[in-house]
Amino acid sequence: MPHEDNVCKESVYNQLFRKLSPAIYNFIYFKCGNAARAEDLVQEAFIKLWENCAKVPGEKAKSFLYTVCNNAFLNEVAHEKVVLKFIKKTGPSINEQSPQYILEEKEFEQKLQTALSNLTEAQRTAFLMNRIEGKKYREIAEILDISVKAVEKRMSQALESLRKDIKNI
Amino acid sequence: MSEKLLHKFLNHEITEAELETLKASDEYRDYIKIASHTADLQTPGFDSERLWSELTEKKKTTEKKTVKVFQYRSLMKYAAVFVLLLAGYFYVTNLDATVSAGLAEKRSFNLPDDSEVVLNAGSKVNYNIGSWNKERVLSLEGEAFFDVAKGKKFDVETTQGIVSVLGTQFNVQSRNNHFHVSCYEGLVRVSFNGEDIQLPAGNSVIIEDGNIVARQEISGTQPGWMFDESTFENMTLENVVAEMERQYGVDITLDNVDEKMRFSGAFTHKDLEAALKTVCVPLQLKYTIDKQRGITIYGD
Repeated sequence: MPHEDNVCKESVYNQLFRKLSPAIYNFIYFKCGNAARAEDLVQEAFIKLWENCAKVPGEKAKSFLYTVCNNAFLNEVAHEKVVLKFIKKTGPSINEQSPQYILEEKEFEQKLQTALSNLTEAQRTAFLMNRIEGKKYREIAEILDISVKAVEKRMSQALESLRKDIKNI
Repeated sequence: MSEKLLHKFLNHEITEAELETLKASDEYRDYIKIASHTADLQTPGFDSERLWSELTEKKKTTEKKTVKVFQYRSLMKYAAVFVLLLAGYFYVTNLDATVSAGLAEKRSFNLPDDSEVVLNAGSKVNYNIGSWNKERVLSLEGEAFFDVAKGKKFDVETTQGIVSVLGTQFNVQSRNNHFHVSCYEGLVRVSFNGEDIQLPAGNSVIIEDGNIVARQEISGTQPGWMFDESTFENMTLENVVAEMERQYGVDITLDNVDEKMRFSGAFTHKDLEAALKTVCVPLQLKYTIDKQRGITIYGD
């Protein structure tokens, strides 16, 4: 049924928003480290999708959104220096660890965040899409429109530079 | 081998045994630690519910704009207003401004958004005042230095290609078949002949007849001609002489000289004789200055 995935249909549009907006938000945040800006760009991208809903078939919506965001990022944000701040997932508590261990972990955490900010935008985006979002290389390659080999390279470079950076801080 | 395992690990495809192998090396143990810690992070504060309700609001306003009820009786009113608006629109959009620098002259001026343009001798730019704030496009013949105010895309169109930028400083030279773009700050995109290249700060590219002939690093923060000096890198004599004619407002005749020979160097804009010497001596050429016949450069 071709009209089934018509983006102009309110329910389809809503579903796309639920499914894709967190990842799109992350994508921009990885690039620019600015939460307010990332929210704005997500909104702008979805407005654009709505305005163009007749022209964008459902299965193309994802790449449409990523492309719109990437362009907006290149036009507005790319030249600014980034500082990223992440929060830790609330996982199992580490209360039973020794204070020394907790302190070391905390320190490592901070160094890691600084080092992440120091990565190049290309390395960071690929690395965090894989690490934080758990995306497979193939999917990252598709979104960034590069080869899987290139994703591998960015991942290796990111790890290498993070390790070096953490040692030096 | 380990590299391959590392990617398997990152892709969640690694087996227990393979993970043990990987952990044997210090380097890879570090990588795994970094990778696992990063996986524990998440981006701050994305409120999908709030964003959705804001989005629904905005969507409504865009829809309202498109759904308008026209009544036949008031159609004439709308038509009259429309005609007026159209006339106004044409008037405003046709507010073309042209700024040119004549021979032996340099000229600097500001665009409506306070971007600064310095025109080198014998150059001309044309832009539309009315639509400037919507679309920053100007056309250039000759050579100019741009210090662009931050904002939306800024395009410089020449017959040989388009240079697009964000806030930055750059120089564009488009003369005859020679197209030379230098970026002093920020990032510049050059589109020519169906190709697209990115030029980061501190780089320049020379394009002749639609082909890249050189990419090089540049020093300094502004092009030489802004300090009354024309600099050349492997440029044909023909173009060097044309620049000298523009800078001094003189006619120069080449006599028995290969005009395609190449010159690298600089000449001053302040002393014609010194300028002639700096070009002619290294190329082993001679020159005469004659009141009646003007300047002649000749070979042996």
